[in-house]
Amino acid sequence: MTSAVTIPRHGGTGEGTAVAARARQVVKAYGSGETRVVALDSVDVDIARGRFTAIMGPSGSGKSTLMHCLAGLDTVTSGQIFLDETEITGLKDKKLTRLRRDRIGFIFQAFNLLPTLNALENITLPTDIAGRKPDAEWLRRVVDTVGLGERLKHRPSQLSGGQQQRVAVARALAARPEIIFGDEPTGNLDSRAGAEVLGFLRASVDELGQTIVMVTHDPVAASYADRVLYLADGRIVDEMERPTADAVLDRMKDFDARGRTS
Amino acid sequence: MTVLKTSLRNFFAHKGRMALSAVAVLLSVAFVSGTLVFTDTMNTTFDKLFASTASDVTVSPEGAAGNDETPQTGRPEALPASLVERVRKVEGVKDAQGSVTSLSVTVVDARNQNVGPTGGAPTIAVNWSPYELRSVELASGHEPRGPTDVVVDAGTAEKHHLKIGDTLRTIAVTGDHAARISGTVEFKVTNPGATVVYFDTATAQRELLGKEGLFTRVMVDAEPGVGDDALKKDVAAALGADARHYKLQTSAEVADAGREDIAGFLDVMKYAMLGFAGIAFLVGIFLIVNTFSMLVAQRTREIGLMRAIGAGREQVNRSVLVEALLLGLVGSVAGVAAGVGLAVGLMKIMSRMGMELSTRDLTVAWTTPAVGLALGIVVTVLAAYVPARRAGKVSPMAALRDAGTPADGRAGRARGVTGTVLTGAGAAALVMAARAAEAGPGSLWLGLGVVLSLLGFVVVGPLLAGGVVRALGVVVLRAFGPVGRMAERNALRNPRRTGATAAALMIGLALVAGLSVVGSSMVASATEELDRSVGADFIVRSATGQPIVPQAQAALEKTPGLDHVTAYKWVDAKVTDPRGRTTKSGLAATDPTYVRDLRRETTAGTLADAYGEDAMSVGSDYAAEHGVKVGDVLTVAFTGGDTAKLRVAAITADTGQVDKGAMYTNVSTAARHLPADRVPNSLLVLAGAKDGQETAAYEALKDALAPYPQYKVSNQADYKEELQNQVGQLLNIVYGLLALAIVVAVLGVVNTLALSVVERTREIGLMRAIGLSRRQLRRMIRLESVVIALFGALLGLGLGMGWGTAAQKLLALEGLGVLEIPWPTIVTVFVGSAFVGLLAALVPAFRAGRMNVLGAIASE
Repeated sequence: MTSAVTIPRHGGTGEGTAVAARARQVVKAYGSGETRVVALDSVDVDIARGRFTAIMGPSGSGKSTLMHCLAGLDTVTSGQIFLDETEITGLKDKKLTRLRRDRIGFIFQAFNLLPTLNALENITLPTDIAGRKPDAEWLRRVVDTVGLGERLKHRPSQLSGGQQQRVAVARALAARPEIIFGDEPTGNLDSRAGAEVLGFLRASVDELGQTIVMVTHDPVAASYADRVLYLADGRIVDEMERPTADAVLDRMKDFDARGRTS
Repeated sequence: MTVLKTSLRNFFAHKGRMALSAVAVLLSVAFVSGTLVFTDTMNTTFDKLFASTASDVTVSPEGAAGNDETPQTGRPEALPASLVERVRKVEGVKDAQGSVTSLSVTVVDARNQNVGPTGGAPTIAVNWSPYELRSVELASGHEPRGPTDVVVDAGTAEKHHLKIGDTLRTIAVTGDHAARISGTVEFKVTNPGATVVYFDTATAQRELLGKEGLFTRVMVDAEPGVGDDALKKDVAAALGADARHYKLQTSAEVADAGREDIAGFLDVMKYAMLGFAGIAFLVGIFLIVNTFSMLVAQRTREIGLMRAIGAGREQVNRSVLVEALLLGLVGSVAGVAAGVGLAVGLMKIMSRMGMELSTRDLTVAWTTPAVGLALGIVVTVLAAYVPARRAGKVSPMAALRDAGTPADGRAGRARGVTGTVLTGAGAAALVMAARAAEAGPGSLWLGLGVVLSLLGFVVVGPLLAGGVVRALGVVVLRAFGPVGRMAERNALRNPRRTGATAAALMIGLALVAGLSVVGSSMVASATEELDRSVGADFIVRSATGQPIVPQAQAALEKTPGLDHVTAYKWVDAKVTDPRGRTTKSGLAATDPTYVRDLRRETTAGTLADAYGEDAMSVGSDYAAEHGVKVGDVLTVAFTGGDTAKLRVAAITADTGQVDKGAMYTNVSTAARHLPADRVPNSLLVLAGAKDGQETAAYEALKDALAPYPQYKVSNQADYKEELQNQVGQLLNIVYGLLALAIVVAVLGVVNTLALSVVERTREIGLMRAIGLSRRQLRRMIRLESVVIALFGALLGLGLGMGWGTAAQKLLALEGLGVLEIPWPTIVTVFVGSAFVGLLAALVPAFRAGRMNVLGAIASE
């Protein structure tokens, strides 16, 4: 993954080979001098378009920081981040906001929905904010896929945790972003609801050609991805294509053991 | 102990969230203590003034006017100079000095500008005597030495740029007297605004009293060791039978009388300002209740945890109250300090308006901080009581639940019923007030109606929030798309909070609306009545309230182009009805042309007949109360003159406001029963122009009165405008005082928004993450604020117009017959409150915009 410097441009989604986002020599450090803590240490990474990428690593490995930086939520200390051909490092807040609104979707671990808006209003919020009409055809397809048809008028407080996260996924999809970032989207769910949401994310990659990046520490969740990146101490230390839960678990144990002995 | 520690920690941890509540307490307490300091300082100033100007015993003619009054004749009561010698010989008297003092003067400079105050303080002309040197000292020039010399106080000289050698003309009832300034004097104590001129004794006697050999007072000082009371007794004894013609007062009695004269004015001012402070407190209560409700809600998990590990309800309850106590303490201490500053500021403002007050006299009684602290703390703790109780009810399970945003406070059915009942009762009371046949019970109904309807609106407000905010949403918010919709939802999220925030604004605006309705109805009614009843083309009034001096009256009468001039004089008299019941009142003695100048309707007889020899008229209220009919004879004892039998020739209808209840008689009738020097001067003069010469006559009248700037001539149009301006000025003062309550209410809106922003940190973070721009976020908060403000304005204006209408219907009994709703004012206030909303959202919106997106999402 340290290869590929020239990237062909592609319009739209669904091209399996192109790169949706990339990071080049990204450093993120907190504090200075004695108290300086490096969360990301010269990370290079390419996120493939139309694929489902999982980022794994132990607590404090920098996996969430990497995602936040890729998504334009956090600033980097040095290095560059590109979304498609747009360099987002150094963008002003106004442009970053528009970029997040128009080109990126988010799913957080919890508190994804505005309590004052019903499910449908939450789903169309990003397009509403942008002052655009949602694409009715696409919206119906998304809502159908998520399977929330009857609950669209419900307020978040009337939905279960799994349903809330599905609404969050639908919201992320509805605006047709180039890339969706999930920050442990199933972290607060039981295994059944978690499987529901993950299955749905998988389906949106397979059927809708969506690009998804997900941070997780759950091997089962990671097994839904096409590719898993392992972070440790702010560096990418390994990756795995077409992971299975067992293989991911084994690899994690491996890291743990290495970490303990070294 | 631990509870106290948590309270303290919480208080200091959340001091930012309490800051606005503290400011609200501060403002209210500052207003209260400022008022107290200010009035105490005024009292000190006057006490010092009276102490410095009073002699041990003062002898004045019986029936002499008080300190601030000027006799209708324009001529002070006098006593013979020989009395001074008699008093001086009394045992125990160290010295006695005759004094000539007249308040019935106007002093003008070479350009005919009045150099005296017109805002209440008097212009005083006195004789120069060693006695005066106790309160003043010569600052420049020399004392008055002859008829062409005059000395003026330095304050007046400075204000009007007067120099030694300038000419001052003193207008008194005895004529005009011009003299050149020979010197200026400086007061040793604070002179609160009077203009004082000094003449040598002979000139003062001649020009102020008409002839030499007269004084208005004898100032008597005691030998050492002789008490004031003993001296007074001795002087009275020495005067023997003549003592009944004189009034003897010790210095303490003079000071008391003086204090009484100003006490009325000071008390009105004090209680009016305390009333407005009370309104501010009321508004502040809403703010405090909201703050503590929100703090408790935000801390639900924390409180749950405390309960789970064994804190009792009482302890939780108490910990919140202790925080309130601290808040009240901090706010009140700062408030008392600010109050002193406010008083100093008020003194500066009063100084600019001619009421000179010096910080030397600044008086802070121990009661001022005591009252301020007690009020601030008690009000704060009481306001926090309900939220504190709610905190006590938090279950230990709350610690385990995911807090998210606090549960919405649902407005209950009990609230709806209570609110509706209160509002209904209030409305009924207002209707009773509007229909009342008598002013007394009517005003009780009005008061009850105002209080009940206000309470009802406060209680029912949260329930109305839903409907009204949605309606406002359709009108205002829809234009702003999703941002507007979210603002609307946010405003509706906690109706109780929105209701309380809006209610605070409602109170101030309701009073503004109510008073503006009454004020403009007052103007409309007066205008309508003037149009209907006034036939005179011109009215001449005195700006200082003093009657018009004869030389000015003569100038008026000689004015070309006038058809007639009507003198209107006030004659003090006691009137006894045929059954022997006496009322102490007075008669309006006017020229017969008055019937053309003011068309008074009569219920019996013709007003013109009341101008026949020894005839008079009475008002219908008096006639009804005393059973007086046309043809009855009343006994009228003219003060200082005869007792006459006057026949009632007409009964005027007591309907309008103009001259209501006046008893009319001919000037010639009054003059027949009074000694020549007791006939009063005209209080005002009405005049009619010859046909077609109105404009020329108006100009001629103004020219004729140019040497007498203390009188103002107006034609009908100008008079109406002046009336309107007068009411407008009064309303502006009241609005200014209400501004305090409105400022506190606006702080309440800021407070609610600021705390909401804190409470919704995660939501804001989420919205920012999915692409809401800073500008949109700020707009959303601003719109929420505008909607809350408009909601409050709508309730307040509605309520206030109801109050105002009821008040007008009640005041119709007093002649306030025309209801006028001042729509421009109402609309301005409504639109203005939208801007107030924008203003209130400024800081909260800015702070929300500055939130770090990641930090906001991660926050708990």
